[in-house]
This record gives sequence, C-alpha cells and structure tokens, in this order.
Amino acid sequence: MKKPISKSRRSRFLLPLTAVAACIVVSTLVAQQQEEGIDRTALWWAPGEDRPLPGYIEYENDYGRLGLLNSSGTIETDGHPFFEALGTNGRGCVTCHQPADAMSISVATIQQRWQDTNGTDPLFAPVDGMDCPNLPAGDPASHSLLLSRGLIRVALPWPPANAEPEFDIEVVRDPTGCNTDPVYGLEGEMQQVSVYRRPRPAINLRYVSSSRFGVSPFIGKTGQLAAKDPETGRPLNMNMMADARDSTLKQQAQNAAQGHMEVATPLTPDQLNRIQDFELQLYGAQAWDKTGGALSLPDGPSGIGPQAMANGSDGVLGNNTTRYVFPTENKWADLPEGDTEEEAARNAFLESVQRGHDNFFFRTFWIKDATHINTVGLGNPIKRTCATCHGMHMTGMDTANGWMDLGTTNHPWALEPPESPWSDEEPVMPLFKITCREDLPPHPFLGRTIYTQDPGRALISGKCEDVGAIVIQQFRGLSARAPYFSNGSAANLRELVDFYDRRFNIRYTEQEKTDLINFLSIL
Amino acid sequence: MKPFAKTLISLSLAGAAGTLMAAPAPGERISFVSCPVVRDTTTVPCWLSNYEGESYYLTIQSDVSASVQPPLLGHQVLVEGIVTDDPAICGGIVLEDVHLTAMPELDANCNTILPVDERYVIDFHPRPPGPSAGRLAFAANPGTPAAAPPPVPEPVGPQEFDIYYDFDKGVSFRHPRYLSEILRTAEKLQPSRMVVTGVRGAHLLSNGTLLEESENTGRRRAEEVAGLLQDAGLDVDSDVSWIDARDDADGIDDWQSRRVTVTLIP
Repeated sequence: MKKPISKSRRSRFLLPLTAVAACIVVSTLVAQQQEEGIDRTALWWAPGEDRPLPGYIEYENDYGRLGLLNSSGTIETDGHPFFEALGTNGRGCVTCHQPADAMSISVATIQQRWQDTNGTDPLFAPVDGMDCPNLPAGDPASHSLLLSRGLIRVALPWPPANAEPEFDIEVVRDPTGCNTDPVYGLEGEMQQVSVYRRPRPAINLRYVSSSRFGVSPFIGKTGQLAAKDPETGRPLNMNMMADARDSTLKQQAQNAAQGHMEVATPLTPDQLNRIQDFELQLYGAQAWDKTGGALSLPDGPSGIGPQAMANGSDGVLGNNTTRYVFPTENKWADLPEGDTEEEAARNAFLESVQRGHDNFFFRTFWIKDATHINTVGLGNPIKRTCATCHGMHMTGMDTANGWMDLGTTNHPWALEPPESPWSDEEPVMPLFKITCREDLPPHPFLGRTIYTQDPGRALISGKCEDVGAIVIQQFRGLSARAPYFSNGSAANLRELVDFYDRRFNIRYTEQEKTDLINFLSIL
Repeated sequence: MKPFAKTLISLSLAGAAGTLMAAPAPGERISFVSCPVVRDTTTVPCWLSNYEGESYYLTIQSDVSASVQPPLLGHQVLVEGIVTDDPAICGGIVLEDVHLTAMPELDANCNTILPVDERYVIDFHPRPPGPSAGRLAFAANPGTPAAAPPPVPEPVGPQEFDIYYDFDKGVSFRHPRYLSEILRTAEKLQPSRMVVTGVRGAHLLSNGTLLEESENTGRRRAEEVAGLLQDAGLDVDSDVSWIDARDDADGIDDWQSRRVTVTLIP
C-alpha cells in the first residue's frame, strides 16, 4: 500500500510534480515513438513552409498509414492562407491541423514539437497553448493539458453573448488556475469560462458541413432557432464545432484566426474563400494497415479509404441496411486462411475488422440517460447500437444537429481520478457546478445540480438541458490523431471502447473490444 | 382545439371510483401518473405502466415517426387513453388514443427494465432494434407508389395553429415541423399580425386529482414561440397572452390543454 498523502500536502507540490511528470512523459513517449520508427519531427508542417501538398500523400502512424487526398490536385501552399503564419503569434491554421495527424494534431506530435523547439513553437502560444495565458513561459507545467491530452484552451464569455442562461455556474475545481484568475477567470476582468478541447480534424468537411439532412429553420433536437449562413440565409447543420458556436467553414476560420492565431486584422473574403475551397476538397482516411495491408483496393469495401471519402454521398443517413454508415459489403467476412504467415495474419485481421464493423452496426445494448438521443422521441432507454448515434453515412457523426451528452464531460461518467487516501493522482480538468433555475424544468437526467468538466453546448445556448452536450465527431483518421473525445480523456482506442463499455454497461468481451479497435483503426 | 367549456367530472365520484380498484371497462377513459416499465423482448422492447393493480401496455420502441413515443425511465409518465378489450400486449391492457408525457422531475424509483420473458412476444416491430431497412418505421410502404400530395390551398383569412407540449416543457424536438409550417403559411399569407396564446395545462386524473403545470408555463410557452417565430423572420406585430386551463380539465383529452395557439391575421 502506498503511503497516504494529505490533500494539503499534495497541493503544495502540485505544480513542481506536474512539471516533472510532464517532462518525463514527453521524453518517454518521444523515445517510444523513435523506437517505433515514426519520425514525427520530419512529419511536422510549419506555417510558411514553401512545399506543395500533393494530390495524394500517405503519412505513417502507429497503426499504418493515413491517406490524404486533394480532389482538386496538388495544393500550392506558398501564400495559401491555410498554410501561412497569418497570426501575430506565428501560427497558421496548419499549426493545429497537421496533415500527418488527419488535419488534427496528436498528443504525440505535440510532445515531439515541445522537445524539438524547447517549447518555443507558436503551437505553445500563451493565448490558448498554455493552461492559462499568465503562467510562466518555457515551463511544461504551464502547458500541461496541451502536452498530456492535446487540449487547447477555449475561453468563452459568461454569460453567453446571445442567450439568457437557465443556470448559474460555479468553479468547484481549478487545476489550471484560469477559471479563478482575477483577469481570465469566471469572475475576473474578462468574465470567461475556460474549457479545454481537442482540435477537430479538418478533413472530409464536405460531409461535416453538409446541410442536406435534418436541417430546418429550427433545430431538430430542441426546436430552438438554427444558425443561418450569413451569405445565403439558409439554416445550417451546426455540426462542425464541439459546441456548435460557429456553423460555417468561413465563420470557424475567421474566429479561429482572431482567437487562436491572434491576427491583427480579420481575414479577407479572398482568404476565407481559399480556406473554404481547400477544406471542401480535402479527404482523409486510413489507407494502409500494418497487418491488414492496403485498405483501399478496387475490389475492396466501398466505404474504406480516402478515395471512398471522395466518392461518397454527404448528408445521407447510414444507419440502415441499404446504405450503411461505413459500407464494407461483407468483403472481409470470410477470407481464406492464406498461403503464407503474412497472408494468414492479414486475413485474420481483416476478418476482425469486419466483426468490429458488425458489432458497431448490429450489436445492441441499452442506450440510457443520454440527453438529445433518449430525449428526442426514442424513449429512455432504447435498445439500439453504436450506429444509432453515429449514424451519418461515411463519417459516423450524428444527424444534424448533432450535440449529445454521452457522458464524456459530465459526472458521473466523465473520467476522473480515484479520490482516496491511497491515491496521489490529481485531477487535471476543471470542474464546474451547474445549478439550473428552479422555475424551469430540470436537466432530464441530471436534475438541477450538475457537475461537469465542460458544459459544452450550454455555454452557447444557456440551456440547462444542453449541459455537457458535445457535437459528435467524425470517425475518420482516428489512428493518426489520438487522444479522443473533446477533452482528450481517451488516450487510445482501447480507452475509447472501454469508456462506452462502462458508460452503457455493454459488457463487451475481450474479443469484441479487439474487433472494435481494429475496425476503428482502419477508418 | 379542445373546447374550454366542459362539464367537470365530480371529484368525489372520480375519487370513489378510484378506491373501488375495479378493472376499468373497455371504452373507459383512464388518466394516471406512474412509473413506466421497460420489458425487453427478443425483438424490440415494449413499454408498460402499472396503475391500481393493472398493467397497461403503452407502446413499443420504434423510431421518431411513431405517433406514440416511449416515455423516459427516471421520470414518471402521465398516461391518458381509452381502455380496450384487445388482446393484451406484453402482458398489459391495451389502450387506444394513448397520449404519454414524461413528468419533468426526476424519480429514481422509475428504473425498471424487465428481462426477456418468452411469454411476451412483439411480432409487429416495424423498426428492428438496430439499423433500419432504409425507411422510417411508420413511413408509407416503399413498394407502394406514393400518392401525389394534395395541392395546398392558398391561405385565406386568419390561420390558426395549435402546438402541443410535454408536461411543463417548452419548445422541444416535437416542434420544428409545426413552427416551420407556420413560417411557410406566413410566407403565403403575409400576415399583418400574429396572436400567440400560451396555455398552462391541467389534467383531471382518474383518481380525482387535478394535476396542473407550473404557474409560469403558459407565459413561458407563448413568449418563447413568439420570439422564435420573430427571430426566424416572421416580423409582424404580435399579441402575446397566456391563460390557465384549470377550469377545463375533465379527464377527456386533457393533453390538448398543454398548448400554444398561434393565429396569423392577414
């Protein structure tokens, strides 16, 4: 049994210990990556590099290789606003949307970048690459959430700019210090809530931004007013960002430029058009697996690989046996044993992938107490499958408007360290107490008092029922961009599967978990 | 719309009927609040609720196209319906014209999921528990050519719309199509004015209890709908008011009292 450490004693040592731990984690993981042969230093794409992004390129990752496909051909990045350092802090869009990381950024890449630049890369800019902008520069502890979970600080005004909140918010726990800071805190000069989120992958955005399904002037899940495209006046799917605060590619680019890149002047219409055009023609998916080999073959499944993404239809539901979410046509269901050891391993792996697909699509369990799925006319609980929530064809996103509380940030399901005298593991995420108004209906499953690491959509809508609701992400390129969930709480695919196993009491067997991981790894 | 002037059932009579605990006769209206119960089957789950010694079948799991949508474990459910003598489903008395709404407050007692019991078989599952066959459960048969929709007449004169709610709730997933219909009509009618009336609903339960929504519900609903329509582009003068349905609760279609009425005036 470990020696107990008192809470007060722990807190005195928190920052130094965190700094040491961060350094150890960085050097250990970087060493492991180098042993595995992935040269993440070479894979880094810095803003302002004058090299073209080819029409098709593959990047190595832990499971194999990711394929990126520019359907309009080679992109000349010299002078391209996505690839240039437009911000005063030296960042470009590409800083947090790295081609090798499925246009997101993995924590392994972040750690490598820290080591390569001693923390001076613009990625670590104080504005949001630090746990709080006023922390000491050059200290890994000041960037603990970015280095450990790949999280960028997202500072949002409180109360919301365009909604009267149905709840009060208090800071219960503030390991980064930012939410109680006299400048940046909830009651500080800037009146902000700081939450910490993963950059979303900027691939396959034709699908992500499609408004062909479930979009009307009123939000399908709540009846509230849907966001409109300022250029066309048409309602939008609001499926792009974790909290749906920006709903067009141009809005996202403009606000990211001002917030994350700290541009001196807003992006011009031409710059926004070029960013949008680039993003709408870019596709990405895992293309090659270390065991399974090439994933995108002429006689292979029609829904796997980057070319499939370029070919597919956006804005259509896939949770059905006519279209499927990730079409495989059972092509890996019953393969021969193989003539060689390598072929046998390949076929066994692909059969596992097929079983994982079938599990994702057909294996029922009780989906219970998940706001915006159990509350939209289906009942609580529903006996359904993974594809019920992850139902959009080719991406596995939710239908519009796709925010939902799956428990990744809300208690009691959010990942929290054990609290006991025998544990010295410290919580890393902030914790907020939400108290919903007495004169309005409570949150449908959590009542009027909710504890959350990130209120999600509720920070924008002000709605009690939206607390902890996060827009579901696409499934593509997972192998290139760990960790997972908006708060980076699943370090790898095993932890992702384990989360759902716990959350919905699914009781997967080890074989089922392996099959699911294999399936997710080839998307 | 439900007429407001109705004769109230005597509370004392209703109370006496409740204490007798006799099984309700076919054709009898019943209204009660109780925990929902899920019974798993080898296909889709069915939903039940127990009241005064009887088990009532409510619905099955299907999809968003169902006219009766399942309640929520974790909450009591307000059940309204008419007793039938149809064969029991999932062991429950079958109700017709069923209306269900979850009570808003949490109730941890409502957490029963019964396992599969081979005596109870659901063989009318238009939507399996997993992926669909490519259409909504209650959509028209895809093998049948769809009839051409009747032409929508140009609206003439005031146009009235009723929007119904869950108990104590505001606008929800139920409402986008109705709100959109009002917008579409307004585009054709070009109204000069909009009258929005929110109703605080009330229910006379079978045991004689008068169950009312929260005091501010009618106002909250009216103001929310008027605001949403205006923000969506219906930029006309609006008269917003609210009323209580307490005096009209009689145990007959009381679900209609949870309502907002919108009238577009040319």
